[in-house]
Amino acid sequence: MFATGETKLQTVKTVGIISAVGGQMTVATGGLSGLDNSSRSFPIDSWELDDLIVQRATAALSGRFQVKPVSYNRAAFAIVKDSVVAPVNLVRGDPFKALVKTEVSPQGLDAYIVITKAKSSIGGAGRKVEGVGYIIYGTVMESYRQIYALYEIRVIDGKTFDVIEKMAAPPLDNTGHVKLAGPSQPVDGGVSIGAGDGTDESLRKAVVDLIVRSLPTTLNDLHLAAVL
Amino acid sequence: MNHNIKVLCRPCTVCVRRTPLVAFVAALGVTVSLPDVASAQTVFTLPAPPFQAPFLPSVSGDWTLTIGAGGEYKPDFEGSKHALFSPVPIFSLHRAGAAEQFHGPRDGASIAVIDFGNLQAGPTGKFVSSRKASSYSELNGLGDVNAAFEFGGFIQYFPVDWFRLRNETRQGFGGHHGVVSDFSADFIVPITRGFTVSAGPRFTWESSKATSPYFSIDAAQAMATGLSVFDAKGGSHSVGAGAQVSYRIDTHWEVHSYIEYERLLGDAAKSPLVTVRGSVNQTTVGLGASYSFDFKIR
Repeated sequence: MFATGETKLQTVKTVGIISAVGGQMTVATGGLSGLDNSSRSFPIDSWELDDLIVQRATAALSGRFQVKPVSYNRAAFAIVKDSVVAPVNLVRGDPFKALVKTEVSPQGLDAYIVITKAKSSIGGAGRKVEGVGYIIYGTVMESYRQIYALYEIRVIDGKTFDVIEKMAAPPLDNTGHVKLAGPSQPVDGGVSIGAGDGTDESLRKAVVDLIVRSLPTTLNDLHLAAVL
Repeated sequence: MNHNIKVLCRPCTVCVRRTPLVAFVAALGVTVSLPDVASAQTVFTLPAPPFQAPFLPSVSGDWTLTIGAGGEYKPDFEGSKHALFSPVPIFSLHRAGAAEQFHGPRDGASIAVIDFGNLQAGPTGKFVSSRKASSYSELNGLGDVNAAFEFGGFIQYFPVDWFRLRNETRQGFGGHHGVVSDFSADFIVPITRGFTVSAGPRFTWESSKATSPYFSIDAAQAMATGLSVFDAKGGSHSVGAGAQVSYRIDTHWEVHSYIEYERLLGDAAKSPLVTVRGSVNQTTVGLGASYSFDFKIR
């Protein structure tokens, strides 16, 4: 009952990897932003970030597990939202457990690695951003931008559908101007926003860089793989 | 839940939710490894605990520990015209990278169980220390007032990131059994990347049961003190304003300071304890410095 995730993982031989992080990018404003704190989103399906994440995770885990290809309803995993009433989230349990049971094929693997969007507060107001995006943060003296890729990884038991381990990708370093509980970096240091939409190649490269740098570390922290 | 529970307070710090568990893990700390290659700021790594409760999230991951010291110069007791400087320790623990939610010096410890992002609500609590008549000459002849614990709810709303409206309404237990309701508004202005200024008005309403223990004077106390008999009723209790500044020097060091002024109103202001021996003007000044560093539990 009190076994650690690392102990439970010792019996896992076969895993499937599910990713539902990168369907859209959000542009959020924060700080001293006039009377408008609204955000906008645009689709980035063409970037194929989830395919990239599955490829990278597969490469990182293959040394320890047999990684089996799985098919799944990506949209079902992507639209899961927490309740605004925190106790409801505790009572209803982890919604991804049921999705692994009903939306993933094949069943019967020892475990499923589920990678989904994570949330982080921006600034002192408690407003949150999630998934992939960038923030435009204003102060009296200056304004700056920061790109982020916030995701979390669950390891779900393929037989009992219990969550063995769960962790959000941690910050890569402290170079960001806005504190975020996940991988992020300023975009004024060599990365341009350009058109700021799904056709922006520099934006795509910056997001890919965040994912590629953070994924091995997060998998390692979950006791799933060694740092590559 | 995006609020954490503050363990030891400072005005603008974040709060701690899993401190006991992590402290326990830290106490178990067997090895301290070299800095982790993936996090330039991670100072050391602690081993994960050898067990995991199924109903609690894993403590594994990156954490930020903040330690520091400050001081507060505040009235000896509510209504006093003298003030005293006292040290305030600073300690907080939270997940690395978590943004520090704005926190006013007068806010109680709180947890947002309802969280719409810009609108949050949940339980709150505050401790009001005891008032010993023997501690200050102005109180000689008056009875002691025990320490009070106040529990209730809070609601706060950020229409934009730089403006907060907040109310806390709490029921007292122990030293008083009344109701206290604090209203505040704060303009939060980031000047530069590390320098933030905030300020705004304050107002407090208290019921008779919350006011009377501190400001009423019964016949025996009147005889002992020479003050007039006074029956303090509830109502508008105080109005004022507060301001705070914080400056993050680098990724580790931060300094902050604040000032809170309130003018007593209603029967609190009319009490002979205040009119004869005290003051309606109540000012609190605080300052502090803290150091933060990251560590990993794995």
